[in-house]
Amino acid sequence: MTKSAVETASLTKRFGSFVAVSSLDFEVEVGTVVALLGPNGAGKTTIVRMLATLLRPDAGTARVAGYDVVRDAARVRELISLTGQFAALDKNLTARENLILMARLRDRSSPAARRIADELIERLDVGPFRDRLVKNLSGGERRRVDLAAGLIDRPHLLVLDEPTTGLDPRSRQVVWSTIRELVAEGVTLLLTTQYLEEADALADRLVLIDHGRAVAAGTPAQLKTQVGQQRVDVVAADSAAYERLLGVLRGGFEITPLREQRTISVPAPDEAGDLARVAAAVSASGIGVDEIALRRPTLDDAFLALTGHIAGEPAPEAEEVAA
Amino acid sequence: MSAVTGTAPRRTGPLEFVRDTLLLTGRSLRAIPRVPERLLDVTIQPIMFILLFLYVFGSAIHVSGISYKDYLFPGIIGQSLAFGVIGAGAATSADMAEGVIDRFRSMPISRLSVISGQVIGQFCEQVLGLAIIAVVGLALGWSPHVTPIHAIELVVLTVLALIAFTWCGVLFGMLVRSPDAVQGMGFIVIMPLTFMAGTFVPIAGMDAIPRAIAEWDPISALVATVRSLTTPGFHTGGSWQLDHPEIAMALWCMVLMAVCVPLALRRFNRTLAQ
Repeated sequence: MTKSAVETASLTKRFGSFVAVSSLDFEVEVGTVVALLGPNGAGKTTIVRMLATLLRPDAGTARVAGYDVVRDAARVRELISLTGQFAALDKNLTARENLILMARLRDRSSPAARRIADELIERLDVGPFRDRLVKNLSGGERRRVDLAAGLIDRPHLLVLDEPTTGLDPRSRQVVWSTIRELVAEGVTLLLTTQYLEEADALADRLVLIDHGRAVAAGTPAQLKTQVGQQRVDVVAADSAAYERLLGVLRGGFEITPLREQRTISVPAPDEAGDLARVAAAVSASGIGVDEIALRRPTLDDAFLALTGHIAGEPAPEAEEVAA
Repeated sequence: MSAVTGTAPRRTGPLEFVRDTLLLTGRSLRAIPRVPERLLDVTIQPIMFILLFLYVFGSAIHVSGISYKDYLFPGIIGQSLAFGVIGAGAATSADMAEGVIDRFRSMPISRLSVISGQVIGQFCEQVLGLAIIAVVGLALGWSPHVTPIHAIELVVLTVLALIAFTWCGVLFGMLVRSPDAVQGMGFIVIMPLTFMAGTFVPIAGMDAIPRAIAEWDPISALVATVRSLTTPGFHTGGSWQLDHPEIAMALWCMVLMAVCVPLALRRFNRTLAQ
């Protein structure tokens, strides 16, 4: 049996002259969590819609558990469960009725469907609004019901398209803890997100997507080291202090001034030792500072370094393609 | 655990199709009481027309050989059937814009069952609307004279027309991706056709151009059929189709279905393959 839950080769999708996904190669191994990370309009939704057989690729191939998404579409639909960015629920049914309907469409008998619905209601904390019509639920509540609907059959591959975009902190917590439980149970998960924090917290591997291309891939730690080593950041109390600090630190250290943030950044290959030296120099000068801290490069730094813009902010000419 | 063995290959036999269709029809039916504005379209609107024509314009309209009430109600029934195209179209287009259709399509169920559930749900909504109109009509003094044979004929032809117009609406709703656009375009095309169909005033008295349209308007065949089956001896006439309204109506329904059913199915699969 193949070890890849997902494998794409030169996967390409165009909408008119707009290339949404361009010669994409990536892989998700069984039992791992992979995050497609990228800004709005990067092509993430288009990728997962092709995997879920909802869009036909223009070129290249995509396989789910070894089955081609075009030729073996029916088989792929049995193996994959997609929870999209836009709640895929019937808005004129209640939360519970939706779950029962989805379970029955997956061949459960009526009592079995009710039992599964109630288990999922419990698990995703849907109880307080289980009998409200979906059209009257908040975005966060809908998303939880939606995620529950995706878990009726334990899928070979669970795909979550931006599972927490626009969610309130409480719903976000519920979604994250459910995802962690699923991961602990060994579910293979492909997740898209614009939040570096989310990818960092949940995924084993990341694929950075920008303009429909994979610009980098690896573990969160690998991507961070790719950008560079640790640094000491000194944040001056005000602009006058910033100017004076520049004069003080320029002598002894190899500095990077970030005037807009009133921050002076110093490489720290020696970590705590460098922190102590910088702190001593600042302290001796008597100049007021807001913060002196040792920083590990964040995924924000990685994204900026690799794509030239900040994740979560639209790339130039970016446009969400939700067709 | 091996996830692949957890999902046995699923089935696309006729039994599964029927089961999925019934489940999805149940879903459409539950929407009827929960979206009351949709039922209002198929009840309040025809009742407005009944009241307007019976008590406002009616006194100025005289049709020989039939009371105006008996003339009007078959017209209203025909008009409601035709407006069903707009209702089914708006509901379909709203449904297609919902994420839930994507979920159904990414599930291992019969694709056709998604549409057939929609069609049957619309059909039931229209039947409910027609039943209400018939009751209102009888309460206001409509006195249809129907022999058992004519009653069967009436039911069969009405059901056929409902199915044909519903499919026509489903196709329309799939082509036009916004319910508001369906409503707008529907009224521009269907409203005049229902007025020209001999619904409220006889076709024979119309000016040459509307008369020519009316003589071949499928809704005219529908209205003339209901009228001749509920008022024995009343005959519309004026063109081949109005001389043989039942046959013309059955033919129109079959043509509509032959065109709309395959196109709607193709369109449904096409939206997937775009």
